[in-house]
Amino acid sequence: MRILPSRPKVNMDPVYEPFFTALANGEFQLLRCAECGEWYWPVAYCRNHNNLPFLGNMQWERASGKGSVFTYNVQHIAFDSAFKGQLPLVYALVELDEGPLFASNVVDCPPDDVSVGMAVEVEIAQVNSHEDYFLPVFHPAQPA
Amino acid sequence: MDVDTHLRDASMIDPKTFSGAFAIAGMGMVVGPNDGYVPGQSRLMLEAEAVRRAIEDAGLHREDIDGAIHVHGGPRSGDGALEQADTYTRILGLPVNFYYRGGRGGGEGTFGITLAATFLSLGAANYVVISNSKTNWSRSQSRKRAGHRGQQAEVTPEGRWGYAFGETSAVGAHSFFATRHMARYGTTSEQLGSIAVQARQWANLNPLARMYEKPMSMDDYLNSPVYVWPYHLNDMCVSSDGAIAIVLTTTERARDLAKSPVLVLGVGFGDATGELWWEKTNYERLAVSTAKRTAFGMAGITIEDVNVAQFYDCFTGEVLMQLEDYGFCGKGEGGEYALEGNLGPGGKLPTLTSGGLLSAYHMADMTGISESVLQLREEAGPRQLNEPSISLVTGHGGEAAPSGMCSVHTTLLLGRE
Repeated sequence: MRILPSRPKVNMDPVYEPFFTALANGEFQLLRCAECGEWYWPVAYCRNHNNLPFLGNMQWERASGKGSVFTYNVQHIAFDSAFKGQLPLVYALVELDEGPLFASNVVDCPPDDVSVGMAVEVEIAQVNSHEDYFLPVFHPAQPA
Repeated sequence: MDVDTHLRDASMIDPKTFSGAFAIAGMGMVVGPNDGYVPGQSRLMLEAEAVRRAIEDAGLHREDIDGAIHVHGGPRSGDGALEQADTYTRILGLPVNFYYRGGRGGGEGTFGITLAATFLSLGAANYVVISNSKTNWSRSQSRKRAGHRGQQAEVTPEGRWGYAFGETSAVGAHSFFATRHMARYGTTSEQLGSIAVQARQWANLNPLARMYEKPMSMDDYLNSPVYVWPYHLNDMCVSSDGAIAIVLTTTERARDLAKSPVLVLGVGFGDATGELWWEKTNYERLAVSTAKRTAFGMAGITIEDVNVAQFYDCFTGEVLMQLEDYGFCGKGEGGEYALEGNLGPGGKLPTLTSGGLLSAYHMADMTGISESVLQLREEAGPRQLNEPSISLVTGHGGEAAPSGMCSVHTTLLLGRE
């Protein structure tokens, strides 16, 4: 498994816990509506119809992890010193094949070769091998 | 242009009656070393001083002020409400009926004006001060001493997904706009740079501007370091310590005061949540359409009537998109329009005449509001335009949800009698 250098924790609502548990178990999941099948990230009530209380009709489900770069930037300075040894860093918004936009890093690709529309796929990484902290990052998709 | 039908149906008063009924009667700024600014002041003391200056500017006295509203950007900008246990209303001895704090994103003053107008029309107050304050520059300096850069990294509000991926600053997400626009429309660094260069030309005419004595050529811009590609250092706004305050009252009352009234001709609001999350049309444009339609419909004018534009310019890309989204040029043509030199001194559409957030002072849309007041009252010194009658001020911002972006947009039209 890829090990990422230490970095700040995400600070998410407890409702995201199943997402992180799944990541730790090697699975990239998104929230999906049991009624109509629409996929969501970040967490949301389904827009297509009325909902059960507290996301009752939504469930976490394995997603393909495939998508394309919607937009991105290349960080050349570390605003937070935690990123000093990790530059340049490609921060991208990935449009997942299931629909949602997902922000993450693009890895294994020189920043100059990243482009809008580039096909990418997810990879689960562990932050600092001593920590129980996993994040999804994206690498260029293998040619079919 | 008319007010959108559903908006008119929803409103209890005719929006055209609102237009021109309220006016900015006074304005106070504390924004720079040439402005009597004393370093090391707290936000509370900066804001108290700006409010004191606004009251004095209007020719009013502290006992006239019966309402106060503090506006702010919220946690996304690392710039929450002024949360001291003390209040400037007490410090200044203002006998107010209310003092509230609110806001979200950079449309701070426009939100405050709208709220104050409601209090005024209800008869809950006669003279309301609206103010904001920032110490982002000082905060950036203390961050620097701790080994970081910039002002933003101090706070990680709940829901801040991007922080773990390096989105630890405003530019870390805002540059998404420029990348997408470049990919879609072929916009270039030089075109974005021309926006920064023209804002700087205005700042060089404004003694209060941070960059007053620092001219910048296109070469300077292109040679400035790339902090977060595609943004160079000079695509980014300054951060500031300061405060700006205005006094809002009815136009009728304002006519009897010291300065010529600056009329509120229209306000409008937009939010890009839908565009961001399910239409996925954001990152190429801002949530201008509803805000523009509401404000211009209220004022009964079109963009042809605008003499000066104070676009929200946290980064060059926001200016580029607003030029297109308001219709000053076609979609995708903002870069070309800027590069033609339309924005700077002598240009067709004088834009950011204070130097803006890019080169003067970052007090959110209070920067644009204060500059509009100076221009419309013809107090803008060497950068004074020839009798402008309509100034457009916009706001932009909002917290970044996990992978999200600023969704707020506000439109404010100011004019004179």
